[in-house]
Amino acid sequence: MEQRREATASIKVSNLSKDFGKVEVLRNISFDVTGGTSVAITGPSGSGKSTLLHVIGTLEDPSIGQIEINNTNPFTLSEPELAQYRNSVIGFVFQEHHLLPQYSVLENVLVPTLAFKRDPSAPQRAQQLLRRVGLTDRQTHRPGQLSGGERQRAAIARALINQPDILLCDEPTGNLDTATTETIANLLFELHNAEKNILIVVTHNLTLASRFDRHLQLVDGKCTIHT
Amino acid sequence: MRKFSWNAFKHFWQIHLTVALCTAVATGVLAGALIVGDSVRGSLRSLTTERLGASQHALLADHFFQPDLFQRKPNKVPTILLNGTIVAPQTQARASKVNIVGVTDDFFTLWQADTPPNLNKTPEQPFNAIVINAALQNELNVQVGDTLLVNMSQAADIHPEFLLGERDVANAIQSLRLVISDIIPTKNAGRFSLQAHQSLPFNAFIALPVLQKALGQMDKVNAVLTTDTDAISAADLSLTLESFGLRIKTDENHFDLQSQQYLLKPLLSETARTVAAENRIPTFPTFTYLANTIRANDKVIPYSTIVALPIDEGEFAKLLDMHTTEAQQLAYERTRNIMLFTDADEKEFRRLETEIDRLRRQRRAPGNSKTAKQQRDEANKIGHALHTLEERAKRGGDIVLNTWAAEDLSAEVGDRIIVSYYSVSADEEYIIETVVFRLKGILPIAGIAADRGIIPEFPGIHDTTDMSDWDSPFPIDYALIRDKDEAYWDAYKATPKAFIPLKIGKRIWQNRFGDLTSIRLGIMPDSDIQTTRTHFETEFLKKIQPEQVGFQFLSLRADGLQASAGATDFGMLFGSLSGFIIIAVALLVAMLFRVGVEQRSREIGILQAVGYPLAKIRRRFLYEGAAVAGIGSLLGCLLAVGYAKLMIFGLQTWWLPAIGTPFVALHVNPTSLLSGVLIALAVVMVSIRITVQQLGETSTTALLAGETDFAEITRTLQAKETESSKLLSIAKKIAAAIAAVIFLFFVFFDKWFSDTFGPWIEEPMIDFMMFTLGIIGGGWDAFNRWLNSQRVPKRLNRIRFALKNAARQPGRSRTCVTTISLACCIIVAVGANRHDAPPETEYAFVAESALPLHHSLNTPDGRFELGFSDKDSELLRASEVSPFRVLPGEDVSCLNLYQPEKPQILGAPDAITFSTVLDALQWRTLTSRHLEDGRVPAIGDAKSLRWILHHNPDDDFVIQDAFGKPLRLELETIENSLFQSQLIISEANFMKHFPNQSGYQFFLIKTPPALRAETAQVLEKTLGDYGFDLTSASERLASYRAVENTYISTFQSLGGLGVLLGTFGLALVLFRNIIERRGELATLRAFGFRRRLLARMLFIESCFLLTVGMLIGIVAGVVAILGSQGGLPSFPWVSLTITLLFIFGFGIIANAIAVAVALRSPLLSTLKSE
Repeated sequence: MEQRREATASIKVSNLSKDFGKVEVLRNISFDVTGGTSVAITGPSGSGKSTLLHVIGTLEDPSIGQIEINNTNPFTLSEPELAQYRNSVIGFVFQEHHLLPQYSVLENVLVPTLAFKRDPSAPQRAQQLLRRVGLTDRQTHRPGQLSGGERQRAAIARALINQPDILLCDEPTGNLDTATTETIANLLFELHNAEKNILIVVTHNLTLASRFDRHLQLVDGKCTIHT
Repeated sequence: MRKFSWNAFKHFWQIHLTVALCTAVATGVLAGALIVGDSVRGSLRSLTTERLGASQHALLADHFFQPDLFQRKPNKVPTILLNGTIVAPQTQARASKVNIVGVTDDFFTLWQADTPPNLNKTPEQPFNAIVINAALQNELNVQVGDTLLVNMSQAADIHPEFLLGERDVANAIQSLRLVISDIIPTKNAGRFSLQAHQSLPFNAFIALPVLQKALGQMDKVNAVLTTDTDAISAADLSLTLESFGLRIKTDENHFDLQSQQYLLKPLLSETARTVAAENRIPTFPTFTYLANTIRANDKVIPYSTIVALPIDEGEFAKLLDMHTTEAQQLAYERTRNIMLFTDADEKEFRRLETEIDRLRRQRRAPGNSKTAKQQRDEANKIGHALHTLEERAKRGGDIVLNTWAAEDLSAEVGDRIIVSYYSVSADEEYIIETVVFRLKGILPIAGIAADRGIIPEFPGIHDTTDMSDWDSPFPIDYALIRDKDEAYWDAYKATPKAFIPLKIGKRIWQNRFGDLTSIRLGIMPDSDIQTTRTHFETEFLKKIQPEQVGFQFLSLRADGLQASAGATDFGMLFGSLSGFIIIAVALLVAMLFRVGVEQRSREIGILQAVGYPLAKIRRRFLYEGAAVAGIGSLLGCLLAVGYAKLMIFGLQTWWLPAIGTPFVALHVNPTSLLSGVLIALAVVMVSIRITVQQLGETSTTALLAGETDFAEITRTLQAKETESSKLLSIAKKIAAAIAAVIFLFFVFFDKWFSDTFGPWIEEPMIDFMMFTLGIIGGGWDAFNRWLNSQRVPKRLNRIRFALKNAARQPGRSRTCVTTISLACCIIVAVGANRHDAPPETEYAFVAESALPLHHSLNTPDGRFELGFSDKDSELLRASEVSPFRVLPGEDVSCLNLYQPEKPQILGAPDAITFSTVLDALQWRTLTSRHLEDGRVPAIGDAKSLRWILHHNPDDDFVIQDAFGKPLRLELETIENSLFQSQLIISEANFMKHFPNQSGYQFFLIKTPPALRAETAQVLEKTLGDYGFDLTSASERLASYRAVENTYISTFQSLGGLGVLLGTFGLALVLFRNIIERRGELATLRAFGFRRRLLARMLFIESCFLLTVGMLIGIVAGVVAILGSQGGLPSFPWVSLTITLLFIFGFGIIANAIAVAVALRSPLLSTLKSE
């Protein structure tokens, strides 16, 4: 974990459109991202930010266009292959932490490792991650016993447990106060720098967005700012 | 905000509908159970009114009487009621236990709807007519016009077990050949029976005059039915001496009181002597018997009448004194001290005296090789033999002969006169007894010595011209009768040839039927014979109660309706069985309502935030809950009727053994319906109230945040370790300690508790309850601890991950586990009492005969008398028959649904084994005890006593003896025996208290397995006329067990319904959990969990709850049975395992469906922030 890996990950989005029946959510979006890059996606509510993130995260198919992650189109994979692919390549942090209330923080962090073959080093890695997100003392606590910021930190640790190439965050600070938002943002950048992965964050917070390497702004499903 | 929001009610219709349905189930099950009880009771009442028609009361007697003695002229229906057997020669079919009813057309007017059937013989018919009911027709497979052979006991004045009683098969059974003139349905008159039993009776109706003629009881009946509503009492009867079977022969200076039954019953003779003493009427009691021989000086007189009378009193003493010379007096005095041995006894006596001398010499002789003990044993043996001889010699005493007999025997005063006579042994065989007398005097045939007025009529003897024409029931050796005997008969008929003291006569001839044959009464002072006789009769009748002489006053309708309340309250039975379902529903409703409230946590939070008081919000939810429960309970009323119909259908089909006959019809009582509704509503409302009360435990902030898991919040609060939580924790520990102490107290002091608090709370029951509560409580506690456990496992895998999910909603998981474990515990505990294995008994058959048998099946002579061929008799040698005397009464087993009041009583022989718990020795020990206050030891089946007679076995059971007096039975209980239908007393006590009952009608038969089929065939064929019916003993036991097993099946079915409810709850919880956890599940999908993996994990989670619930229940059930019964002797592993596997399978399928349905909706959309 401590060993920094090479920034080899890449995302290539070409002419991506997504509709839900008659509602066109994303329109002809194209961009490339390489490893070690952080990307902020901003835009008004309903502009398609979360949908774009979900399509990148392979949770939803594109209607038109193509996505290549690490030079592979994941949507050509079968359902089991896609699940395994997502498990190993992509990490998620959501606005709602979606931690499992019946499990301890440590167990929650370990949850993604259960989807496929057991990794004996996972518990050790989970504890290292918890140390890095500052939750060593809280690892046996239940989510109900944590503050909002702590829960989100636990969610970040869970997203990184399988050392993903891409970390996708959907409004990770949306429910947090300013101070906590700052803490979580710092943590995300710190981990991003350490992991050299691709960090894509959907946010309404323009101050936060300004700290990212690149900035995509969506309006009515179209990319209006592309830096 | 209104108290009740219709919009909210509509918006959350799904959860409300579920709560309403659960309430409907509770109402339906409870009210339905009460309706089942009403239906059984109502049907029994209908049966009672149907079988009795308009008859209200009945006068019954154990003998025939003139119906006119019952003074109520209108509304009375004289009948003859007999029990018999009918054979159909065409089909070779036979029916036993048939009600043979002698009736007139008036009988059928008791059922107004019925047209009287044709009871009259038509000119074309060769025989008289008989009408049968459809049940009997089915049994015999006959049609109108077919001939039937009806067998019934011949009405006899003299008891068959007395010397002069008729026991010959041909004479004891009256057979009638009749032609079926009509067949009536088995309803109304066709259902007539005085026995309260739900089974279909076999009824045969014969015209009253035809039956009276056949029985030789012209114009007499043994029952009168009346439609009068006033109870019959002694005042309604105009009794005469004839009603009691008495007759008076009046002479100039005296009158003789005698009985048609030959012997005067002790009660009647004592009363007569009391009345005479009170009115200073001189009495002269006599006991006349027939001697087989009178012997002396090697000469024999055959078949002579001997009279026992007060030899030293009155006219007889004067006569004797007058005709005794001084020489005779001296000769008598000389022989007074000589022992009265027979020749053989005297010879034996001399031999024994010589032996004693030899022993004495031996003892003194030097070198005696016998030890002191050997000598003592030998002396004791001889002493015992001498004592027996002396006792036998003491039976005799003085005898007086008439001159004819003295001359014939060449006997002189002082001579030994040896008298032999028949007596009837305990097993009803004739045995010849011999008694030696000393001749005290010789009387001329004159005066009282020639008075035949004191001699009652010997049936078949007194009116014959010659001795050779005698037609006696006992064997007579006609070769012994000489010409001079015939000459005496011609001249003097039955004039006694000998007289003995009354004391000796009573000692040797008295039996349970009487102690005198005649009482001669003189004239009271200052009166004449007619006035004396009238006065005596009046006073005598005043002293005798009709019940003492075999009359019974029955309140047919009132008793029948009372009995129709039923031995088993099916309403309570089903209600108590359904109690568990009510608990399950209450838990389910609480859980569902809570889910509903949780769904609306934000709404509650907002209301609180804008200032609504909590009480107001609670009230709103309570009103909503009440409305939902109200609608549910109304729906439950319909369900109740449906449920009751289903249960009744079950009783008519699957559970038929519980009621025997499919007679139950639906009777809906609005009170029961309302009771069911109110109780179910109350239970549901309490559940809702408790749930609503918990609203206050959640903070407004948490509610606004959409927190739905009360338990998690509670746990969070507990984590803060407040003062109140510490106190709560201490209180919980104290409560647990108290519970543990109570548990240990009941486990170790259960017997004391049971002894102290009565027999209804049995020791095993207390143990069972304690073990059940202990284990199941422990199981729940362990599960609860696990749910709340904060421990982090060292290694997390998918299985552990899935199992841990069960702790997400601890309350819901607890409810499911509680419901399922309770249901399984009940199923196991109840099922453990089921008897799958065929019952074992040492007896091959139980037999009952419609008519009593008077000969032993165990002796070749008895079998010969009963008509068995030599070959069949040889076959029966391999069998051992235990015969029982029977006092007719009601079946007190679980096979009778009515509440019995007068149980059938059996008189059991000494050598009988009742069950594994009471062998013959224990029975003899039990019955040989001398109890105070005339109480009699008795045996009854524990379950029959407790559940059918509703009697505490520790208390005496009181019945009425044949004299109308209460007879207290001190009970000993047995279990699982063949005697679940009766109470049993010893044969000796039976004969003492019910002397009129004759013969044996109940039999237990041991037969080697290889001979059983052939033996059964032989017995039923030869004893067919007696209505001898054999049943396999194990089948009889199985029929009792079938009822028990049926109740268990019913209970298990309801337990199964409880499991279904629990499983339904589990599936619902699973479904709801999945809906609530969509975000979490979607997250897992995002992290690479495939849908199938998620489904598998959710399935494991629900199966885990199902398994935990079942395991807690099974372990609790098994341990409770082990603890309370000390083992699992006949545990029904197979049926129970199948039942539990079925439950598990059903649960798994229900869970799989819930998972499949819930996961069908898209999950990932819940992850989007926008």
